[in-house]
Amino acid sequence: MSAAATTHDHAHDHSHDDHAHGHHEQSFIWKYLFSSDHKTIGIQYGITGLLFLLFGFFLMLLMRWSIAYPGVPVPALELIRQLPVINGVFDSMFGRWMNADGSLNGELYNMLGAMHGTIMVFFGIVPLGFAAFGNFVMPLQIGTIDMAFPRLNMASYWLFFISCVLMMTSFFVGTGPVQTGWTMYSPLASTMNIGVTSVWDHGHTWWLSAMVFNISASLLGSVNFIATLINLRTKGMTWMKMPFFCWAMFVIGFLLLLAFPPLEVASILQLSDRLFGSSFYLPTGLMEGGKHLDISGGGSPLLYQHLFWFLAHPEVYVLILPAFAILTEVIPCNARRPLWGYKSMVYSVLTLGFLSFLVWAHHMYLTGMGTMMSTYFQITTVLISVPSVVLLTCLMVSLWGGSIRFNTQMLFASAFLPMFGIGGLTGLPLAFSFIDLAMHDTYYVIGHFHYVVAPGTIFALFAGIYHWFPKVTGRFMNDKLGKLHFWPSLIGMNLVFGPMLIQGMAGFHRRWYDGGKYFENTSSMSHWTTTLTHKIGAFFGLNIPDNMLSLNIVMSVGAFILALGQVPFIFNFWYSIKGGKKATSDNPWDATTLDWATPTPPPHGNFLFDPVAHRGPYEYSLPGHNTDFYPQWESEPGKPDLKALAEKAQAHH
Amino acid sequence: MADNVEAIQKSIKWYFIIGGLLIILSGATVGLSYVELPTHSLNILVGMILATIKASMVALIFMHLSHERSLIYKMLAFTAALAIVLFTLFILAHEDPLVFPGFYAPVEQQ
Amino acid sequence: MDIPYTVHARPDTGLYNAKIGIWLFLASEVMLFGGLFSAYIFLRVGADYPWPVHDLDVKLGFINTVVLIASSVTVLMALAMLKLRKFGWYKINMALTVLCAGVFMFNKTLEYKAKFAHYAVRLTDGTMLTGHMPKDKDGNTIHYQVKFDGVTELTLSVPLKHTAVTADPVGYVLPFIEGTAPKFKTESGQEITLDEASFETLSAEAVKKAKAENKGTASIKLVATAPIKLAAKPSEIFAYTDTTITFRDGTTATGKLTDDKMTFEVDGVDARGVAQSEKSLAFDHRYLGEAWQKAFVENRDHHIAKFETDYPTRDKSRSATLQKESLFFKLNSAEPPAAGAPHGDAHGAEAHAPAEGHGEAHAHHPTVVLEKKDFTFFSNFTPKLNTYYAIYFTLTGLHGLHVVAGAGVLLYFLVFDGKRMRQDPEHLANRVEVGGLFWHFVDLVWIFLFPLLYLL
Repeated sequence: MSAAATTHDHAHDHSHDDHAHGHHEQSFIWKYLFSSDHKTIGIQYGITGLLFLLFGFFLMLLMRWSIAYPGVPVPALELIRQLPVINGVFDSMFGRWMNADGSLNGELYNMLGAMHGTIMVFFGIVPLGFAAFGNFVMPLQIGTIDMAFPRLNMASYWLFFISCVLMMTSFFVGTGPVQTGWTMYSPLASTMNIGVTSVWDHGHTWWLSAMVFNISASLLGSVNFIATLINLRTKGMTWMKMPFFCWAMFVIGFLLLLAFPPLEVASILQLSDRLFGSSFYLPTGLMEGGKHLDISGGGSPLLYQHLFWFLAHPEVYVLILPAFAILTEVIPCNARRPLWGYKSMVYSVLTLGFLSFLVWAHHMYLTGMGTMMSTYFQITTVLISVPSVVLLTCLMVSLWGGSIRFNTQMLFASAFLPMFGIGGLTGLPLAFSFIDLAMHDTYYVIGHFHYVVAPGTIFALFAGIYHWFPKVTGRFMNDKLGKLHFWPSLIGMNLVFGPMLIQGMAGFHRRWYDGGKYFENTSSMSHWTTTLTHKIGAFFGLNIPDNMLSLNIVMSVGAFILALGQVPFIFNFWYSIKGGKKATSDNPWDATTLDWATPTPPPHGNFLFDPVAHRGPYEYSLPGHNTDFYPQWESEPGKPDLKALAEKAQAHH
Repeated sequence: MADNVEAIQKSIKWYFIIGGLLIILSGATVGLSYVELPTHSLNILVGMILATIKASMVALIFMHLSHERSLIYKMLAFTAALAIVLFTLFILAHEDPLVFPGFYAPVEQQ
Repeated sequence: MDIPYTVHARPDTGLYNAKIGIWLFLASEVMLFGGLFSAYIFLRVGADYPWPVHDLDVKLGFINTVVLIASSVTVLMALAMLKLRKFGWYKINMALTVLCAGVFMFNKTLEYKAKFAHYAVRLTDGTMLTGHMPKDKDGNTIHYQVKFDGVTELTLSVPLKHTAVTADPVGYVLPFIEGTAPKFKTESGQEITLDEASFETLSAEAVKKAKAENKGTASIKLVATAPIKLAAKPSEIFAYTDTTITFRDGTTATGKLTDDKMTFEVDGVDARGVAQSEKSLAFDHRYLGEAWQKAFVENRDHHIAKFETDYPTRDKSRSATLQKESLFFKLNSAEPPAAGAPHGDAHGAEAHAPAEGHGEAHAHHPTVVLEKKDFTFFSNFTPKLNTYYAIYFTLTGLHGLHVVAGAGVLLYFLVFDGKRMRQDPEHLANRVEVGGLFWHFVDLVWIFLFPLLYLL
């Protein structure tokens, strides 16, 4: 049965005994490229997402260099320039914008900043957290054979792939990628480089086109996820027996489904402003270079911001909810304790999903919002912290009294809790407009949201990778290398993002490409952290100034440590696919959810038997039970005997 | 949509009735838009009420929402709530700016 | 191995997969059009010009409304016929639906086309003139152009790094030369014809030289052997002064500006943006002159007087209709009407609403020659003109795309699902129902679009 035929939705009601692993071999293209199997698509999304995470991280390293050492040539540039192919690619992406001596300038820094944000959010974390983990794990957890619309699922990935190509193309076109921040605020974004000879020479056109494809991809994905969760849950899998992972995916699906269209509108209108000369976002009398632009005016830049943040605030929860989804699997499994407060978590995540649509303008306190509106948005913003705290607290309490296995994924999971805590708590002051007016666009904000998404979400994603790796490949990732990955990452992350909070309080602006060097003489306050940096530097014979600028060096060192920390991971990841320790069982972590009831790796069609959910998803350490876990699929302890069934299925062929 | 023959034939009748009504109401909308009501906002209000009635007829009868599963209702209620949030907050944000006469430039003497 | 519930509903939810899928998709669409409509609201309440009301072709819009409603009924009929297994009627109804979509798009094309040929010019005092660019005797439109004469020197600049703007004289200079391009002399004294090949050798040399001199940009000077005449639409060039013209590719030419006046056939004077409407710049003696001013004042006072008798208690300044009828003056003849004959009533003016196609109409309007210093902005009735036309084109354009997509899906069912119709009509019925739901949604959007853009 070929992939196309198996997913062909014709009417004949096949009995379920031909759960075959494919009667004949599929060609490589259909099996790995244009597959409509949810697991393959999940892996495709995962690899693409990981590559983009690495690429976005690389952009950030260049930025950090410029911040810490403005005007100093980028190290290893000579080496890169000598490599054959890489030199050409590097030069047309970055090299052609650099100063003659190989240092960064503001123009390039702006490009890097805008693309770092775009790539990390839309091409790194969402594809990895939602599309990759969701696609692979969610159908397994609800015990179905595939997604509701497998071909749409494939289309979703390929639309996403086109959007990746378009976004990367913007690096190579005439103006280079956009320079106007990932938020792409008009009128700057609409009028920048307005005199280009062809719109396709403009990175902004490519950015907007890429976003249109990206949005279409996530629309297809979210429709698929929600429909699958509603209609394809297996027997016994009632809503409240569903693992929390699936609940989180359900909510993310709705966030993507309903929040992305306004961004699509925003993109289309901005594209129209640029291509057709309309004035959606351009106010009357707009001047540039001392000249009135040839526009009618009458539009409003605020319209863009409203449309953009109507998406972009729910998007924040699209970034963080996959982390909770993964941790609710990793933590109970490795603490050998049921998830504490499952029901309250479910209701919290639903509340969170709804509230996230009502808070967007807290990103816009500085736009001249009246007191009534600002009061409203302050209230809802503070309100939304309640469900978030419930989620985090439940995870923490789940650890209570557990016998914790500190394998790599649990290390990442347990580091997530305080890291996300810092990220969340530093966000609270920003909810209040009077504080936000001072903090807006400073490094404090950057520190705050990076604590949420970087050591927060990304740690959880790492935990998820280590956790499900044996299910995907049949082999474990190396635990020692994993720990070598974890500790430098933890230290690096904190060295990068901790000092940002301090610098931000000192008023450092997020878009200084020289990291504030220009203002060195007027803002040279010291702080115990800067003194400490100065002293440590002196110990190594380095002359690091005792002012806020020294923290730039700390952060850059942190980024470097973080980069080194990823080396063991990259090696571990690729090596373990073929050379890792073999998983001896289909359920190596002794977990309870249905994803562990499949063969390893799961074949096309997933299950060897008709899975039935007999109980809740987190039955660990059940009193009086003979093992410390009681899987959802066992009707009575030890049943069904998967091995016997598997043998029967093999014999059936 | 019901599956037995009589029910289908009955609903066909309704489709034509509703279709006719929709055309008549569209004509009424056009006519009313030329009537000079005390303010133009009233014209807009009347037009929008008529449009909403027409839209509900399409949704209820043509899209069979008059007898649909509760799940669909829940989904649509959630969407409708968010769409309303979008409209009202946009308008409110516009109506409550932190600007006042003289904010950008001195007030013009009249 | 098949995905369950593709044909029959799951017992506990009562729904088959595609139905959930389409409703989720429609929910997303609601937010898409919700975003667009909220943009409409935002633009309308923030507009700093009188929002156009009844400016589009209402008749055509109403026809399209009827067509869409009819197609909604036929798609329902198709589903019903399929359920009754009357396949012939099913096919007829599907075909009718697709046909309706075709009619709708045809009307839409007519409507769009008329707008591209119709222009508006904003004068410095805020008056808007609407009308057409004149036509030559072959019926070709004569577009507004900036004209230069005696151009002898061209300076091309080729940046050494890959950027968005680089000299491209073949694409951006040659098309604007009137007549055939003369030969050019390079700095080295060589005589060349400017084309792709010669430019390539030239720029290669210049780049080599600039690299040797460590410059960022290579520049090439060309001297024409005979003076050139240039004519370009302002949108096609980057900037111009009395003596130089800068093309979009960065090439500059020096010469003498001979003409940047705009010849314009006026079919409407919109004085709503002018404090004292009768003193609008449009009635300057160089332009429409006193006779038209008189006609304008007469028409204005006629409407004001009519309004005062019809609605004695209402505030004149707050009636948008009155503002439009009294201050937006339509010119329906080449010469001003004789004094005393009142200009047609409001509905007469409506019949000549600016957006309509004009055909021969251009002969019946006065022609003015506007000096550059007297107008600030001009555009045809496209998104550039104002935010109303911008949102109009975006909303109806996106709606049109939905119509095309929906019709495409239905056409696919009609043409390619014949086998499914015979073997598994229940499944096809599901597909048609789902396609139909989308179709009704398209209709539903139009129900709001039509009054918001055409009527209110």
